[in-house]
Amino acid sequence: MSEPKPRKLKINILRYDPHVVGDEPHIDTFEIEEAPGMTLFIVLNDIREHHDASLKFDFVCRAGICGSCGMLINGKPGLACSTLTSKLPEEINLAPLPFFELIGDLSVYNGKWMRGMNERLETWIHHKEKELRSINRIEEPMDPDLAEEIYELDRCIECGCCVAGCGTIQMNENFVGAVGLNKIARYKLDPRDERTDADYYELIGDENGVFGCMTLLGCEDVCPKKLPLQSKIAYLRRQMVKTGLNENVTKCNCLQHEEKMPEH
Amino acid sequence: MSVQIHNYDVVIVGAGLAGLAAARELQRAGKQVAVLTKLHPLRSHSGAAQGGVNAALSEDDDIELHMFDTVKGSDYLADQDAVELMCSKAPETIRWIANAGAAFSRKEDGTIAQRPFGGQSKPRACYAKDRTGLTLLQTIYEQCERENVTFFDEWYVADIVYEDGVVKGAVAYDIRNLEPAIFAAKAVMFATGGYARSFKISSNAHANTGDGLSIVARHGLPLEDMEFVQFHPTGLAGSGILISEAARGEGGRLYNSKGERFMEKYAPEKMELAPRDVVSRAITKEILEGRGVGPNRDAVAIDLTHLGEKIIMERLPELRDLAITFLGQDMIKEPIHIAATAHYSMGGIPVDIDGHVKKSPKEIVRGFYAAGECACVSVHGANRLGANSLLEALFFGRHVGKHIVEDLEAGVFDEPSVSEEDANTMLEEIAFCMNNNGTERVPQLRKELQESMTANAGVFRTEETMLKQREILKELRTRYKNIRIDDKSKIFNTDLQEAIEFGHMLDYSTFIVEGAIARKESRGAHFREDYQKRDDEKFLKHTFATMNEDGSINIEYGDVTLGKFEPQERKY
Repeated sequence: MSEPKPRKLKINILRYDPHVVGDEPHIDTFEIEEAPGMTLFIVLNDIREHHDASLKFDFVCRAGICGSCGMLINGKPGLACSTLTSKLPEEINLAPLPFFELIGDLSVYNGKWMRGMNERLETWIHHKEKELRSINRIEEPMDPDLAEEIYELDRCIECGCCVAGCGTIQMNENFVGAVGLNKIARYKLDPRDERTDADYYELIGDENGVFGCMTLLGCEDVCPKKLPLQSKIAYLRRQMVKTGLNENVTKCNCLQHEEKMPEH
Repeated sequence: MSVQIHNYDVVIVGAGLAGLAAARELQRAGKQVAVLTKLHPLRSHSGAAQGGVNAALSEDDDIELHMFDTVKGSDYLADQDAVELMCSKAPETIRWIANAGAAFSRKEDGTIAQRPFGGQSKPRACYAKDRTGLTLLQTIYEQCERENVTFFDEWYVADIVYEDGVVKGAVAYDIRNLEPAIFAAKAVMFATGGYARSFKISSNAHANTGDGLSIVARHGLPLEDMEFVQFHPTGLAGSGILISEAARGEGGRLYNSKGERFMEKYAPEKMELAPRDVVSRAITKEILEGRGVGPNRDAVAIDLTHLGEKIIMERLPELRDLAITFLGQDMIKEPIHIAATAHYSMGGIPVDIDGHVKKSPKEIVRGFYAAGECACVSVHGANRLGANSLLEALFFGRHVGKHIVEDLEAGVFDEPSVSEEDANTMLEEIAFCMNNNGTERVPQLRKELQESMTANAGVFRTEETMLKQREILKELRTRYKNIRIDDKSKIFNTDLQEAIEFGHMLDYSTFIVEGAIARKESRGAHFREDYQKRDDEKFLKHTFATMNEDGSINIEYGDVTLGKFEPQERKY
């Protein structure tokens, strides 16, 4: 029996370099012969090595671990390096992740947005004392199931797919995105973090945070790490509603919300 | 082109575990510190480490045993003072990072869980399922954010300012727009990672081009023990993408095409849990002798099916995903195909125990430090044990950071004086790559380099293959002078960057090959079929190699710091 003839893939790439005066967004098409086990990472390198050296895209680990190669693959955000061409039709459309600052072609500066989000939400363990002390003591015990739950959320690689797949952020660019809410959920679970619900409310208890989410849940559909974003956002929202009602927290200063604040 | 000059107390190159751990210490001590990385910090390769990080934490383990395992694993080439320092500080390093938020898996009693790893006498690798590196990298990065460390993301460091035995800064360009700058500093620290990307089958990220090493070498400074490259036994067939040692640690069994559990022949006592060099040779031998599996018979099978779905999903979920994605094989249902893959660099920039870069076996360079995989302390000697690399990066990163603070406060540095001309070497290198109108293509040259390194300087080496490789490298060096790149743009020009990186790969590959030719013995990961025995009389020595202008290499040897563990035959 002879091997089936390899497919000819037609790769359409949305290209645009905002730094080049006069450049307009346009589609370039490349034809590549499919090989066994071929990923989009291999395809893009093949294009750059043999067809067009100026093609811009990001890649580091090539194993779906580092989160640098997020892009729109036939309209859906995903990681190029862990997407096999065999799972796709012959014609493949690639475009940069929307929303992030475009460097050129498929390359976006998502690291800059992520850093801004991290700083805004202070996505690190908060201790009362700034020094991480008592290093010679046995570590504080932690229930293994809780450790596992934290680990599950800690798996986020900040690739930006959830942000690119988010309807809310398209309308409100200050929205922290599922990546931000997931991080807050992660720290809220963590007994090592000493922040209170009121502190978290300060960070995400408004329309730029958990109350902004329109529950379209594109984030969970596209997360390459399959994080439980839907349930975590719902959980956070319940918690934050509770906090908003029970504690004397005033996040929003506008007149309308002041009137609606519950009496204490 | 005007060259911007920035001034800092300390410039750190590389934002993996070692670089970030040092940056945090420096920032906390109130020093002006900048971290330069050609990526975004979270994309660094530390994050790809899977299986664990060693520390003798449990009551039935002890630090001396960790030291012994490490020294024996190193085939006695590790410096025992450095090993002692690292192993004795391992428990507090783990507790420190756990306290900072690392998401370690826990035992029923709530303490940090540990798993067995190759060459370890006890279950010693603390882990976060099979994504240990990621949680450590994230934790330390978050703590750097918390301290407000200054990052220069996507800056490519191409040179250092080195005059009269003193390093005064780093020379770099912004990858996004090709603007050059000099980062003048009282101290420069390299944490630039490893160099396994000069091999065809490699577990390393695309970015691991070992730039830091050849930058050092081009200034006539030595590199140490470069011939020791670790081949990890379990890379996915074809791509070399890593399947963590946790797969063996949790009980994976290796089989050849005849269904034989072949480790019985090579390490009857430890079997699959022998150290990486031993298992990689066994796998490669089985394949070379025609007992490989798969369509190209270029792999062996690792069977985890007996663990059952529950344990695999609990402890190895990411590994399962990788094998499904890249091989279409589900380890719950069937054995998966693996082969040895170039993985880790034992050699590197020689440093003393506090991270000072060495000019020779006895002298140091002022204002220059290194830590992590790019450095050779040497805690791994001729073969690193699994789960000791995250420990090295985390511990030494922090330790060296503290030492830089001490050195700054002791006032051992002068104010660095740099001038725009110090960027000339980098600017010439860029101009050469951009303007040279030759006929050679970098991707083709790189392919030839990687294929020939794997064939001639890989798991098994002989005089004949390596002399051949020496000639291939010479030829590639000549052809490199005749390259042409197509992308002439200044914006995010990866064509340019890969041309520069390839120059680095050529340089350090020469060190690997020359070190391996000169070392006429077999030790750890360096295996000579023509000299199969270890030769302590002649080669219980560290290689110190320097490069001449024409690319030729001089080799001298330095002493190994021995200690309580006398070299003995290494059996598993």
